[in-house]
Amino acid sequence: MTDARSALLAAYLERREDLVRFFAMRLKSPAAGEDLVQDIYLRIAAVEPGVDVRNAAGYLYRLGSNLMLDKIRGERRSAARDHDWRDSHRTVVGADEVSEEPPADATVAARQRLEAVVAVLKELPDQTQRVFRMHKFDGLSHTEVAQTLGISRSAVEKHCMAALKRLAERLR
Amino acid sequence: MSGERDQQRPMEAADAAVHWFARLQDEAVTGDDWLAFEQWLAADPAHAAAYERLEGLWVDLDDLGEGVAAAMDAPVSLAAHRAVRAGQGLSRRGWLAAGAGLAASIAVGVGVANWPMTPVDTYATAPGQTRQLTLADGSKVWMNAGSRLDVRFERRARRVEMAEGEAAFDVTHDPQRPFLIATGDREVRVVGTEFNLRQRADDFALTVRRGVVEVRPDGAADAKPTRVAAGQQLTHKRGTTVGTLSATTPDAAFAWTRGQLVYTDATLSEVAADLSRSLGTPVRVADAATGRMRFTGVLTLDDKDVVLRRLEAFAPVRAERGPTGVTLRRR
Repeated sequence: MTDARSALLAAYLERREDLVRFFAMRLKSPAAGEDLVQDIYLRIAAVEPGVDVRNAAGYLYRLGSNLMLDKIRGERRSAARDHDWRDSHRTVVGADEVSEEPPADATVAARQRLEAVVAVLKELPDQTQRVFRMHKFDGLSHTEVAQTLGISRSAVEKHCMAALKRLAERLR
Repeated sequence: MSGERDQQRPMEAADAAVHWFARLQDEAVTGDDWLAFEQWLAADPAHAAAYERLEGLWVDLDDLGEGVAAAMDAPVSLAAHRAVRAGQGLSRRGWLAAGAGLAASIAVGVGVANWPMTPVDTYATAPGQTRQLTLADGSKVWMNAGSRLDVRFERRARRVEMAEGEAAFDVTHDPQRPFLIATGDREVRVVGTEFNLRQRADDFALTVRRGVVEVRPDGAADAKPTRVAAGQQLTHKRGTTVGTLSATTPDAAFAWTRGQLVYTDATLSEVAADLSRSLGTPVRVADAATGRMRFTGVLTLDDKDVVLRRLEAFAPVRAERGPTGVTLRRR
């Protein structure tokens, strides 16, 4: 098997323009797109040589999309901290904030959200719950879920679609 | 009515977004798939909005991860799939057996009008059932009992995934679009030929009647392929790196398509497993000694009782019919 890194690098050089165009559109900014594609390049160097790169171009797009999601995640968390409770509820000792506990109403909101998600997931067929949970919460790839459960990758995909569809419909 | 259309559009966008989102998480997705996704996103602002909503949902779920896991019953032992993750290699194979018991077949349908990606067609046969198909490219597939095929025709490749089963293929010639079959840990590459492919548990067997077929480890497109020519059979055990190539009479491997099972020095365990699938009734061996008995002969699959009587005539066994199936016992 060829080295995963060199396969990714070759795909990167071949697809660079496509990647920049795609992520510029997704981030609604050519500069942000360019930055993200640069980040992809830096991540290629960190890829383990033995990693299973089934499809190098697809891998790069997925890598970039995950970097994008990390960004969204970071923004949401800091926004939540700032707006929901941080300003109205902080304890300062000298220059350091010491309070890491969200206030009671934020805790209640989070618990309600959790209960809503669990209720939706529990309505799904067992196998769909299992597949979605392994992929989303245990971080297994589609291939790993397929191998663990002895089903095809397209079946994993269908279960994930069913779970996402239901969650998207039911959660606002 | 335009009002009705407006009602419909966001719904379609939401469904299509779900398809794309789940599809793009798969490792086998190609650069071309992403280009198609880009086109879909750009086609309508509602598409991008629906997709972004899913991304938001996905990220939100992260914060709930621990809680969701704790609140739901553990459907699969966590230790089991953590081990898969740590294994990252051949040791995964051990878990396949554990996973197989959980693999209840469930068909989940998410209906979408005008789904923009190449659709996957799934074909399955129950025990006791065979099925003949003509695929969109004119290729013919004859599925043996207890088999399942996921067929996806892309612009540059015709892809079939056979998780388990046996099928005879007569593939139309199309050098622009190779016919690729993923089964077990092997990928079979076809240009235009006729062959029988069998994947039962960990055992792979490919028999070629006409033309040449190439076999590689699945996912290793650069690996040097094993070429299997007409009149040859390649067998391989999942998880090993080797295969055995031997001369064979291809007609024996295709015999099931004529309603026959042909054996040369097979074990009675193998015969019982084939009969279970072909007759749709569980057929077991009474004990290990019976299972190890050797059988050579042709069984024509017409009437179940007649088949069992023939087996009794050919081999020193008795077929005992019970409420849960048939037991073969050494006489």
